[in-house]
Amino acid sequence: MNSAYDLIDVKYGYDGLEALNIDQCQIHANKTTAILGPNGAGKSTLLNILAFVFRVSSGEVMFFNKRCEHESHSALRRRVSYVQQNPYLFNDTVIKNVELGLKLRGVNKKDRHQSAMMMLEKLGLGDLAPRRAHELSGGETQKVAIARAMVLETEVILLDEPFTYLDKRFAKDLEQLILDNRRTGDQTVIFSTHDQLRAQVLADDIFSMLAGRYVPSSIVNLYSGKLLPGKNIFETEELKISIPENLTAGEHIAIESTQIVLSKEQLLSSMRNSFRGKIRSLHEDNGQIQVTIEAGEIFQIIITKAALDEMNINVGEMVWLSFKSSAISVF
Amino acid sequence: MEYFTKVFIVAVKSILVFDHEVYFVVFTSLKISFASVIIASMFCVPLGLLISSRKFKGKVFLQSILNTLMALPTVVVGLLLYGILGRNGPLGGFGLLYTSTAMIIGQCILIAPVVLNLVVVAASSADPRIKLASMALGADRYQRGIIFVGEIRFALMAAIVMAFGRAIGEVGIAMMVGGNIEGYTRTMTTAIALETSKGDFEFAMALGILLLLIAFTVNFFLQRLQQFSK
Repeated sequence: MNSAYDLIDVKYGYDGLEALNIDQCQIHANKTTAILGPNGAGKSTLLNILAFVFRVSSGEVMFFNKRCEHESHSALRRRVSYVQQNPYLFNDTVIKNVELGLKLRGVNKKDRHQSAMMMLEKLGLGDLAPRRAHELSGGETQKVAIARAMVLETEVILLDEPFTYLDKRFAKDLEQLILDNRRTGDQTVIFSTHDQLRAQVLADDIFSMLAGRYVPSSIVNLYSGKLLPGKNIFETEELKISIPENLTAGEHIAIESTQIVLSKEQLLSSMRNSFRGKIRSLHEDNGQIQVTIEAGEIFQIIITKAALDEMNINVGEMVWLSFKSSAISVF
Repeated sequence: MEYFTKVFIVAVKSILVFDHEVYFVVFTSLKISFASVIIASMFCVPLGLLISSRKFKGKVFLQSILNTLMALPTVVVGLLLYGILGRNGPLGGFGLLYTSTAMIIGQCILIAPVVLNLVVVAASSADPRIKLASMALGADRYQRGIIFVGEIRFALMAAIVMAFGRAIGEVGIAMMVGGNIEGYTRTMTTAIALETSKGDFEFAMALGILLLLIAFTVNFFLQRLQQFSK
């Protein structure tokens, strides 16, 4: 499979602090990749590197199988478009903002105006075109920034927490755009989010991060605690969890939310971990249900709509959750 | 009070009938101050942008010096320049004393720290996202510079307008190196000072009213620009 990016041993730091340390990361071309992690995980730093805004302190970045260190970063930057978190719009009208990237690429006035206007119309933002950018609300600013990036039709589009300021309706529209793009495979889309469900619904691949590093699992159902060597037990503040054998070190465990089985009665099975808890919330997105359960620790489980209907469970009910020790990653 | 009212009416009349003498003085003042502001800005705006974009040893010290120089007393600039341009001064041979050139040089010295300091402040306090956003849109180094200046344009204009306000209202330099020569180096401020002492109160009053009007106009624009730059 073609890769858009290959990162090898990439480190990035400032003021003596290491913000990012990634052994290896491959991002497939013409696929949608979600960078998943909590605030401060290094998602924005990684996107800034992928957008060629930051230069890595050490390590290698390959862009479409070519090494980047010898190429000019400003030339590479023109091959990607990037919507930053809390984006900045220039002190001009909305339409001029959307035109700017094209103008910088030498597109003539008439063509760039037409493309910008078409993009705004496509995103339902046509009315905003003559408005002053600094008068827009947070959500409108975010939408215009997305239009400003999309109009460039680059090989790669990077979106840093694009859903943060969006109202529900436009968030849905953006999800649809990402899904459409995923179907056609025209562009490589990379977006960061802290929302596991959204990442799972929208992306082909998920790259999870925590404290500047890649985490070989999802970042929900993440617990800190200590490993009891020899006993194959990981002890969190509230629970004792059976983990795979022969592990000797690790301070965190993560449990895949799709690997947890939900049932009304305790299951008789080979699964080593079984806990009883209360359903705190049910959240639906595109046919998938995120169930949040308090069973000592808070667990997030993803099931299908059909499974939910079949089990007929509701918020406040007591249920059992079970998972194999092999569903756990320790790090 | 009656005397004052009479003077005021005469002054307003001479403004309304476009008294040649009054307006020539206004024109001289504007000409000299515009020239100073244009010359000082040509050097100080790029220099200010350069200072703010670079990290170097002594930057904080330089900024505090610039801050102090903003309060440079006009008579001290006039005094120093008189010493330099005077017949026995190092540049006395150029014969610049009592010319509008000398006044422009003096005003440039006076307002250079104002423009420099305000430009440095405007550029340093600009939104840090401007650079990232223009980079992300694919701007090269030169294009980023243009975008940056465009983004802080109102703050830059405010700096220039403020400098103009300081130049047009100063009297020390104009008096000491201009000499208040009628039809040549007589400005609004020097004329007001000297005509009052000579007893031509009406003439001084007319100029005073016009100077106030200019000062208010400048301030009005300054406030508008500062609103825009936010």
